[in-house]
Amino acid sequence: MLTKFETKSNRVKGLSFHTKRPWILASLHSGVIQLWDYRMGTLIDRFDEHDGPVRGVHFHMSQPLFVSGGDDYKIKVWNYKLHRCLFTLLGHLDYIRTVQFHHEHPWIVSASDDQTIRIWNWQSRTCISVLTGHNHYVMCASFHPKEDLVVSASLDQTVRVWDVSSLKKKGASPADDILRLSQMNTDLFGGVDAVVKYVLEGHDRGVNWAAFHPTLPLIVSGADDRQVKLWRMNDTKAWEVDTLRGHMNNVSCVMFHAKQDIIVSNSEDKSIRVWDATKRTGLQTFRREHDRFWILAAHPEINLLAAGHDSGMIVFKLERERPAFAVSGDSLFYAKDRFLRYYDFSTQKETQIVPIRRAGSTTLNQCPRTLSYSPTENAVLICSDVDGGTYELYQIPKDSIGRSDLQEAKRGPGSSAIFVARNRFAVLDKSNNQVLIKNLKNEVVRKSGLPVPTDAIFYAGTGNLLCRSDDRVVVFDLQQRLVLGDLQAPFVKYVVWSSDMESVALLSKHSIIITSKKLVHQCTFHETIRVKSGAWDENGVFIYTTPNHIKYCLPNGDSGIIRTLDVPIYLTKVSGNKIFCLDRDGKNKTLVIDATEYIFKLSLLRKRYDHVMSMIRNSQLCGEAVIAYLQQKGFPEVALHFVKDEKTRFNLAIESGNIQIAVASAKEIDDKDHWYRLGVEALRQGNAGIVEYAYQRTKNFERLSFLYLINGNLEKLSKMLKIAEVKNDVMGQFHNALYLGDIQERVKILENAGHLPLAYVTASVHGLHDVAERLAAELGDDVPSFPEGKEPSLMPPAPIICGGDWPLLRVMKGIFEGGFDSTGRGAVDEEEEGADGDWGEDLDMVDSDGLQNGDVTAILEDGEVAEDNEEGGWDLEDLELPPEVETPRVNARSSVFVAPTPGMPVSQIWTQRSSLAADHAAAGNFDTAKRLLSRQLGIRNFTPLKSMFLDLHTGSHSYLRAFSSAPVVSLAVERGWSESASPNVRGPPALVFNFSQLDEKLKAGYKATTDGKFTEALRLFLNILHTIPLIVVESRREVDEVKELIIIAKEYVLGLQMELKRRELKDNPVRQQELAAYFTHCNLQMPHLRLALRNAMTICFKAKNLATAANFARRLLETNPNENHSKAARQVLQASERNMTDASQLNYDFRNPFVTCGATYVPIYRGQKDVSCPYCTTRFVPTQEGQLCTICDLAVIGADASGLLCSPSQIR
Amino acid sequence: MAAAAAPDHLFHLRNNFYLGSFQAAINNSDLPNLSPDDAVERDCLVYRSYIALGSYQLVINEIDSAATTPLQAVKLLALYLSNPHDKESTIASLKEWLADPAIGSNAILRLIAGIVFMHEEDYIEALKHTNAGGTMELHALNVQIFIKMHRSDYAERQLRVMQQIDEDHTLTQLANAWLNLAVGGSKIQEAYLIFQDFSEKYPMTGLILNGKAVCCMHMGNFDEAETLLLEALNKDAKDPETLANLVVCGLHLGKSSSRYVSQLKLTHPEHVLVKRASSAEDSFERAVQSVA
Repeated sequence: MLTKFETKSNRVKGLSFHTKRPWILASLHSGVIQLWDYRMGTLIDRFDEHDGPVRGVHFHMSQPLFVSGGDDYKIKVWNYKLHRCLFTLLGHLDYIRTVQFHHEHPWIVSASDDQTIRIWNWQSRTCISVLTGHNHYVMCASFHPKEDLVVSASLDQTVRVWDVSSLKKKGASPADDILRLSQMNTDLFGGVDAVVKYVLEGHDRGVNWAAFHPTLPLIVSGADDRQVKLWRMNDTKAWEVDTLRGHMNNVSCVMFHAKQDIIVSNSEDKSIRVWDATKRTGLQTFRREHDRFWILAAHPEINLLAAGHDSGMIVFKLERERPAFAVSGDSLFYAKDRFLRYYDFSTQKETQIVPIRRAGSTTLNQCPRTLSYSPTENAVLICSDVDGGTYELYQIPKDSIGRSDLQEAKRGPGSSAIFVARNRFAVLDKSNNQVLIKNLKNEVVRKSGLPVPTDAIFYAGTGNLLCRSDDRVVVFDLQQRLVLGDLQAPFVKYVVWSSDMESVALLSKHSIIITSKKLVHQCTFHETIRVKSGAWDENGVFIYTTPNHIKYCLPNGDSGIIRTLDVPIYLTKVSGNKIFCLDRDGKNKTLVIDATEYIFKLSLLRKRYDHVMSMIRNSQLCGEAVIAYLQQKGFPEVALHFVKDEKTRFNLAIESGNIQIAVASAKEIDDKDHWYRLGVEALRQGNAGIVEYAYQRTKNFERLSFLYLINGNLEKLSKMLKIAEVKNDVMGQFHNALYLGDIQERVKILENAGHLPLAYVTASVHGLHDVAERLAAELGDDVPSFPEGKEPSLMPPAPIICGGDWPLLRVMKGIFEGGFDSTGRGAVDEEEEGADGDWGEDLDMVDSDGLQNGDVTAILEDGEVAEDNEEGGWDLEDLELPPEVETPRVNARSSVFVAPTPGMPVSQIWTQRSSLAADHAAAGNFDTAKRLLSRQLGIRNFTPLKSMFLDLHTGSHSYLRAFSSAPVVSLAVERGWSESASPNVRGPPALVFNFSQLDEKLKAGYKATTDGKFTEALRLFLNILHTIPLIVVESRREVDEVKELIIIAKEYVLGLQMELKRRELKDNPVRQQELAAYFTHCNLQMPHLRLALRNAMTICFKAKNLATAANFARRLLETNPNENHSKAARQVLQASERNMTDASQLNYDFRNPFVTCGATYVPIYRGQKDVSCPYCTTRFVPTQEGQLCTICDLAVIGADASGLLCSPSQIR
Repeated sequence: MAAAAAPDHLFHLRNNFYLGSFQAAINNSDLPNLSPDDAVERDCLVYRSYIALGSYQLVINEIDSAATTPLQAVKLLALYLSNPHDKESTIASLKEWLADPAIGSNAILRLIAGIVFMHEEDYIEALKHTNAGGTMELHALNVQIFIKMHRSDYAERQLRVMQQIDEDHTLTQLANAWLNLAVGGSKIQEAYLIFQDFSEKYPMTGLILNGKAVCCMHMGNFDEAETLLLEALNKDAKDPETLANLVVCGLHLGKSSSRYVSQLKLTHPEHVLVKRASSAEDSFERAVQSVA
């Protein structure tokens, strides 16, 4: 049982939930009806008009009404909005036991000790039917939720079902009611409109309660015979199905649960019992110490129950509704019903993964509580309260998400179990206060004692645990056995880590604490209602839910409401303005929220003013709340831009030191106080002009004079003197004179004011002897005497500079202003930064320096202190085995241990397994590699292959630094690795050359040829030819491709060699023409052939071998050349057709097919004898036999060879 | 392992040392209130870190003859590594100490013996001193020796012993990764996951990066390996393994790796890759002779 709310009061006899609001009515034995908000836990209202106990109370489904019935025989209908009783229905002649509104009709059903049940129309305020038949107190009566039935229970030991369908007809027209009223009264005690349908007899004592099943034709009843009986009915009859025994005293109330297949009953034996409605066995019993239970009520929509007892009531639910879930990256794993399910946040698809064990319904609250997921191993841990805490470990099959064959989960006892590393999980062993670290085979790998008494563990990063005890949490490093962080916190229920694992939110019942990963407290948020769930958004804002709100917390401790909620949800992920959550039915939902407010505040906090600006521009943020927030958070300059009211604007401007705006506002307002405040601020900033202006506006002459004195503005000072004179302000005159240092004036003023002694003293002290004498004469005997040894010093120093402003305080101005005046945002940014840097920086530097130093020492000290404590508190335990064990072992080693013989190096395995030259070369077995090559391809010259051999060898091993200072381990790299390869089975070596590289080289070769870089092209093609012997490919098809590549490369090498040769020959035009002609017979790419043909054509044409040239021209035209080329070719054709002759004889007969000898570059016509290179297949004239092939430069011409072997598929 | 939660003061130091952040190990070695045994272990780790960083002379100078046996053993290692031409005397004194029943069974001494004989490629001799185990380090060294001998079956047995002692010990995990790499196949991925775990748990070191890179190379993913190695190179531009692996990687990617080769030749002329290359060249020439 999960108690949600509890009250203490007089005996509670009646209860009713409000359909929509979190309200419950409790009617008390004392006569009071209480209206509680069970969510907030507050008493909203009390209704005290009944005289004596109120036993029945019921909310109307949709109207702001409720009905109550009491021992004063009265039924009262109340309007809770108006806080008063609307009317009273009179008629019952004894205590009223229950009252209930009909869900549809304007009816109330009431049961009374006068042995009747009455049905009332609360609109016409009349009784429309009296149901008689019971011959003892009727203890309860209620409408069927759908059908026209009423069930009642009575102390006459029967339960009766009444058919009230006829009332409907009767009440069809309200007018009828009044007409029938008189008739009705006559029908009293003999009404025919509602008739008994069934009388259910079976209880041996009085029946206290009977209730319909919400959907099935079932009735449950509870009686003083301590039994709960289950009845079934059909159209014609009703019969007893079963009896539930267990209560030790009178059963007060009993009901079916709306959503689960259970029956709930309570009794005067001080217990609430939960029964399985199908198996009819007791599931659970909740006992109270002293209070007898009297009444039960169920919430019409959500999973809440309430029970009234001798000293109050409780609101509770039987099972928790929070689905267990775990979030990992973009996926959510959660338990729903009997399945583990998977939800993809990006695609918003959900899939069922594996079935999970469901503890039979022997007890309640056995569904999964927590879930932990290891992404790498794809395993899930589910904890539930089964058998006092059990965890189950499920391995999610990799490929078959959705396949649902039941796998036997590994399980074990433990109330909390979480993954602490990829393949390790920790299980809390509460009794020994230790955690067991287990591997995925469910074997204990390690045990570790916990530093504090722990009742739950949470994830805290790899290898760490967050241990919860009653009033604190600690982060514990399992490997070092060190407490990394410790925090006093009220009972933490849930822990939510930010995605970077730097911050954690600890959710308690009524508070949220945000801390760093080492539990350094950052801020705390308090709620008056329960905190339900939370998630971090990408910006480091924590979003959380209460039963009725989604709220945010900013890192600085600000929080606010994002939106309201109708039903509780459990946040799983926040992404931008999307909130993903699970509801109580385990359904995934997505809510779109308006994140503007908290993003705005966050931007302010992070000083991202560009963001702030664009948000101000683009969204409708304005409002008193925002202004107040800005002001309170020290951003008056931002708030300034929201405000229209001049006074507020002035205040904000002053606060932010924006003098210009303040002046403008002050002008608008134009009152003394504002001018004065402007003056003060301007003075603070040193803006003397504004100060002067402000003083002038307020006519504050004294301040003005002083300002001039300070400014050294003597001119204006003397003006002030004149003004004072005009105003006849003696004191002002004197001051000004004093400021000006004008002694004569001073004397004059004093004299005029009648202070002759003072005037005399002033004059004589400052050496105005004639005036002094004159005054002395006037004073006569009263000439004052002077003190000795004083020098006159009442002269102000002469001003050094005069007028103007002082150096102004730099005020951060215009960041936003500038932005609003539609200048570019970037510029504004810079300005802002500049402003910050200009004079803030020096100070900052000093600050941060000081701070850093302080910090460092502080940290050092901390560290030392911590170390000290640990030293004192814990005995050092050595990790290594104790030395006693070691010694006998050491002795044993010499006698027993026989070192194994070294195994076979991988490279040796390679050579044994393979007859591919490349594999041997990679293994470093050059000798055999060469033998293979010479046998297969007749290769004799290995010099060009040297670098390839060495590269293959070098590339076959990687290097691993294993144990420090020990020699490095070289590891054989194998080719064709796959995830499913079995270990210890050696694959062939990874080779540094592969076919695709050659393909690229071929392309490069083509390109070089096109560009006319023949040497470069030749190098590339030769390189291809040299690499191919060491190439390994997989399939037969690729073998053919390799062979094709040899031919292509060979043709190009031959052609390019001839072309290069041709260019060397300057003085042999015939040979030049021949070579050019042969070149055109190499198997070239079309563009290259075209180039070769043009070349040959031009050369022959120039040498007047017109017939040959014409042939080339014709061939060129066949290749579809571009405009220019074809034009040239046609011209050649035209020219030569006129004269089909050759000037010189060439060894070239284009009509006769031929191949060119690779060494001598002469045509070998079909039918002539030749020899060929066993590798590259170039043909040679027979005389070349035994020579090194001039094309590939590897093989010996005419040597025996078995052919290219470049794939394991050729051997199989 | 007992349930009592005694904090392990040397944990970080050991970890740093095993994972190759030697400078961090040295920097954070100033731990107060160590027990005498812990202090000796601490000193050993610090001096071995210096050795790993190549500061042999510092170690030789700082450890005087009054120091404890483990430290003397560490000094021997420094002597051995600093002076490749005069190994014999070092080995002689090592053998002498090992024969001394009073100190011969000291774990550090045996460990150093194992390392020295491994350098001598006398694995049998090395195993003679290390096979009995006794510390995690000795077991780990055994694993490596067996891997070097291409006896992964024995290495696996050693690893199992380590796992029984403490499966989550850094050395156990490391040895597991070594063995996984040595046996290859699907185990490569496990090795990768182990290094990945390290990289999540501890600050990145060249060793971890190299480990990951080697795994990538073995999985045929040379691009990623190169990225990791370049990151490692940023951390330590002279690390021989990083350079050697970069050479291999470059070859597979068809890139020129000659600069890394020459860098390696300059800084670590004794590196396996360099030695292998030169011996390969010799054997190539020999083979040319024999085939011709």
